Amino acid sequence: MKDTRSRRPLATALLLLPAALFLLLWFAAPLGELLRLSFSDPRGALAAYRELVTGDVYRRVFANTLLVSVVVTGISILLGYPIAHVLTRLHGARLHFAFWCVLFPFWVSVLVRTFSWMLLLERNGPVNAALEALGLTSAPLPLLFNNTAVYIGMTHVMLPYAVLPIYASLVRIDRRLLLASDGLGASPWTTFRRVYLPLGMPGVGAAAALVFLLSLGFFITPALLGGISNITVAMLIEHLVNERLVWSLAAAAAFLLLGVTLALLFVAARLVPIGQALSER
Amino acid sequence: MPKAVRILLHIGVSAILALLVLPAFVVVPASFNAASFIRLPPAAFSMRWYGGFFQDPEWLSSLATSAEVAALATGLSLSLGTLAALGLARLGGALRTALYGLFLSPLIVPTIVTAIALYYVSRPLGLVGTIPGLALGHTLLCLPFVLVNVGVSLHSLDPALLRAAEGLGAGPWRVFRTVTMPIIAPGLLGGAVFAVITSFDEVVISIFLSGITAKTLPVKMWETIRVEFTPVVAVAATFLILLTLTLFALLRLFGLRQAKPAESLS
Repeated sequence: MKDTRSRRPLATALLLLPAALFLLLWFAAPLGELLRLSFSDPRGALAAYRELVTGDVYRRVFANTLLVSVVVTGISILLGYPIAHVLTRLHGARLHFAFWCVLFPFWVSVLVRTFSWMLLLERNGPVNAALEALGLTSAPLPLLFNNTAVYIGMTHVMLPYAVLPIYASLVRIDRRLLLASDGLGASPWTTFRRVYLPLGMPGVGAAAALVFLLSLGFFITPALLGGISNITVAMLIEHLVNERLVWSLAAAAAFLLLGVTLALLFVAARLVPIGQALSER
Repeated sequence: MPKAVRILLHIGVSAILALLVLPAFVVVPASFNAASFIRLPPAAFSMRWYGGFFQDPEWLSSLATSAEVAALATGLSLSLGTLAALGLARLGGALRTALYGLFLSPLIVPTIVTAIALYYVSRPLGLVGTIPGLALGHTLLCLPFVLVNVGVSLHSLDPALLRAAEGLGAGPWRVFRTVTMPIIAPGLLGGAVFAVITSFDEVVISIFLSGITAKTLPVKMWETIRVEFTPVVAVAATFLILLTLTLFALLRLFGLRQAKPAESLS
């Protein structure tokens, strides 16, 4: 052990240096440049931000983004909770298979899944055909290019992110607590409402935060499934860069999005053990 | 819980799970359409659009671009990520947490934000529309997966083994090659598979960095979908699913069940 102690810090630094340098040069620096750009409007440093916050068109975009994120978060929690609960009650091969189903979407490209929904929800697509065959509708419903399509497509992408933190929280609940509640004469509904639900709340909170954050910046699915009046912030940014070529506005919108994302992440991390929930996945 | 409620719950959950898995596969029958637009179910089956895919130089070159970008991004993120994971394992406390946060931050920042930032700095450098430019962008998103996978497998590395090898006179490279490497091999494979899939599926950064000279397969799909519902896109989508399932099966074959960290989407 001649010089291990003096050699260690240097070796550790050398191991970390390439990746750290890469991220600084190719991630932090470009974001810094974008931040500078957001203050570069010729009308004044904060002009781009002011235009975004006060402009009617932009306000509608922010409102629609919030609406989409809230709805998708709500549906994902409502569908994810029962899945997570059933997962905690399964064993062996059934558990493996159910988990595989939950994780499978992670493996398939978001673009492919969104394209699939386009085919399914199309005017002459199978969903409309099935509705008509069942006699539920007499004419094809406009299922595509509106917020309904965006909700369906995005929930499909977000559901696994809701299930995993909720599962991590539910699986750790001591089942003896439920038996105790039962033994003390509580009805199943009371036991659920007073014992099971509160104990699982950290996972629900983490799931809601995660899904909401990911939904805010979502681009592909709303861009393909939404209509011309369902623009989200991510689509606005793309439009400002590629069509209108106003970089200061695009950069300002990007940093508003990033700012809201980080602020929510900060608040969520204090409220719920989101890091823990994430690392357990 | 009353039995009726439990049965209803299981039926409902089974239905939702089916809805999670099955929709992606509709692109498979769609790719066998004989008509020039997609009908589900197809009125007549044909391999016509598979021929169309392989005879169209644009689709073929997008497939080649994707493969080259994925290979470069995987190589780069595997080397940077493995070194960083080894470095992080030797650290403790706040510094480790801070660096871990830095390495995973590309998954937290919305991809659209990263994409336009990279686009802005890549243009003056002449990196837009080039394979290295795309690979550098993808590496940002692939790196966290390598880091997490290699990091997990490093947990099973007993530091006593390293000390023993060092004590027996092995140099750092020899220790890595003969002790560390075999033990973290599952993590390396897992990280590589995730890196390949992440790069192959990436759309948002690629849309901005592809230009007209280096379109990846998803970018070509993206552009085509916005114009028409041609079965060629379904053929490309079927290839992407096939690639994913093959790699998934490969991982299972080696008995690995690595956790995929919060995937970057959008």
